[in-house]
Amino acid sequence: MTGEGMNQAWVLLAPVLLGAIALAGAALNGALAARAEGRPALSGSARPMLEVVRLMRQRRRVTVAADRLLWRIGGMALLVIALLKTAVIPFGPWILADIPVGLVWFNAMDVMVWAAIWLMGWGANSAHALAGGYRFLAQAASYELPLMFALVTPAVAAQSLRVSEIVDAQQSLWFVVWMPVAFLVFCASVLAFSAWGPFATAASGDIAGGILTEVSGVDRLLILAGRYALLATGAAFAVALFLGGGAGPLLPEWFWTLVKTLAVLAVFIVVSRRFSGVRPDRLAEVAWVIGLPIMLLQTLVVSIIVAVRG
Amino acid sequence: MGLRESAARRAVQVTHVLVVEVPGWGLTRMRVESELARRGWTLATSPADADVLLVCGSPGQQLDAACSQLWSQLPGPRARASVVSADDVVPTFTRLTAELLDEAAQQLDANTRSREPVSASGDSVMAQPVAHSEHGSDEHAMPMDMPTHESMDMDMDMDMDMDMPMPGGIPLASGGPDRDGLEMDVLHVPLGPVLPNWPAGLVVRCALQGDVIVHAEVGFMSAAAGSLGVGLAGAGSFRSVEDERRRAVIRLSDAAVNVLALSGWSSAAGRARRIRDDVASGTALIDVATRIESLAARVKRSLLLRWGLKGIVADAASGAQRIGYGEAQSAHARLVEWLDEAGRSARDTAHSYDPPDFPELEPKSLQLIAGLVTGTDVASARLIIASLALDTSLLAASGDVHS
Repeated sequence: MTGEGMNQAWVLLAPVLLGAIALAGAALNGALAARAEGRPALSGSARPMLEVVRLMRQRRRVTVAADRLLWRIGGMALLVIALLKTAVIPFGPWILADIPVGLVWFNAMDVMVWAAIWLMGWGANSAHALAGGYRFLAQAASYELPLMFALVTPAVAAQSLRVSEIVDAQQSLWFVVWMPVAFLVFCASVLAFSAWGPFATAASGDIAGGILTEVSGVDRLLILAGRYALLATGAAFAVALFLGGGAGPLLPEWFWTLVKTLAVLAVFIVVSRRFSGVRPDRLAEVAWVIGLPIMLLQTLVVSIIVAVRG
Repeated sequence: MGLRESAARRAVQVTHVLVVEVPGWGLTRMRVESELARRGWTLATSPADADVLLVCGSPGQQLDAACSQLWSQLPGPRARASVVSADDVVPTFTRLTAELLDEAAQQLDANTRSREPVSASGDSVMAQPVAHSEHGSDEHAMPMDMPTHESMDMDMDMDMDMDMPMPGGIPLASGGPDRDGLEMDVLHVPLGPVLPNWPAGLVVRCALQGDVIVHAEVGFMSAAAGSLGVGLAGAGSFRSVEDERRRAVIRLSDAAVNVLALSGWSSAAGRARRIRDDVASGTALIDVATRIESLAARVKRSLLLRWGLKGIVADAASGAQRIGYGEAQSAHARLVEWLDEAGRSARDTAHSYDPPDFPELEPKSLQLIAGLVTGTDVASARLIIASLALDTSLLAASGDVHS
């Protein structure tokens, strides 16, 4: 197949692959949870598929005076946002839309998560869901600026906002080596905008599931799947920005991209289990007083290196 | 039909169960949780998340009404059961599975229900667009997450402009000055009686601004009169020193489960729960001692947990002392102390045993909880209440308490 033909096939393949990677993440999480509860890990890895069947079989529900339109839009938005993000993520030689501002596109999409989760909290007309929405906005106000600077840093180094050029700029040295702070901040932000692990307080049990309190059936499925999809795209983008994209010995580029993405996703899921929750009100102080200055320092150091090297 | 059946059989392997603990039936609830974990089923966090409503014990009138409302909020396919003694747990689960698999019965249930949400009085809201006639129907039995219905109490109706729009029969939230002196909406939201990791039967009716509790009143929903004895049978049978120690470890690790789960550390909460369940099912104490100690070490090492629980202290107006604690202690310190004490209890082989003292709870002291949580946000309030490790079984027979 020609390069052009393959790129067209990739349009159809990308969403399927995104689903497969997200499912792999869910299976790993299920396996870890099962092992922790003393059941065989293998039975846990089948769990996501069983949950899909359960939720497809469950009836949808509404609450009194719910803002149905906005609520449903919020519920399906996470998955749509994750799909839109894949447009600018290179998978080996293929990329759906190698636009000149790919990095900005990715950032614009993760800002849309604010709206999506707030609408889930707002639309249900339920105090617990609303509290979940508040928590997410407080959390988002903490992670968004450090995240933006973490995204800017590789762009400064590559002197381009085009994702494929950022990948090409890493052929000699992966960006993770000389911008580790940006890499860590980006990874933490991926967990945060996916409302995952220590940053899952918007959907935590102390407020009866928060944004998930009132959703059932396929609506819930879309939200849960959307969170895994956001994690998966986050991992894939970390590979493109910091881990050299498809760079690797012997094997084809797409293979290295896939392996690296799965590895980053696995780290996200394994590491998240080791942490207790981070409360948004406490995160704000740390993110702004410590996180943001350190991140700015990282960007400054990278900028100076780039300027000195010409 | 083949596809439907095979889908149903797969779905029931991961059933989500909303567990309602009636005060006094903690042991039954723990047995249920351990059976859930064994089967790979999950505790539901809300009715929308649940396939099964499982009531542990015989609820009193108010709690029973709350259960009925929760039942109406389960999306379906759904099944409902109550278990009284811990021995009934396994047969009940088998029956629930069969009920969820019964396609014909589930279809019938679905067809006889309205697709519209059910209001507090049990009527479809759509049937009564301006639901002014229904105040006070059973506002004390409001379960955890009826929407903003809560704002429908009498004093609010007094000063409510009759022209005010009432979407779904619910008056809009009124404003009030917040702690920064700005005006902010006030929502009336009950916490409890059914919430994950929440003391059985407790209801804290809160006025919330954002997620800050500006006012709280405490109520209690007790067990059915004369129903105890069955549920508390376990307590009487703990006689020997060994059993006394066993009971202490179960109690302490159950308290730790709640604080760990509420602090968002589900894997550590899971470990504490497994320790609790293994002790309850008869594993030798000396065998779990190492696991308790390693969990305690892990909890002490976690800087993130220490930071997350920093400043969570149940001492406002020394209410905690009056509830029965000697001194104000942070939730973190208390958690560490529980785990250390559980480790000692499991390790200790001395003939005499002095069980750790948890406060004696009286109906009066419940009211002090209101003072402890006022002015805190919901997350802190949940941790403060969990760090008190209230044993509401002591109040189970005292009847419902209104605020």
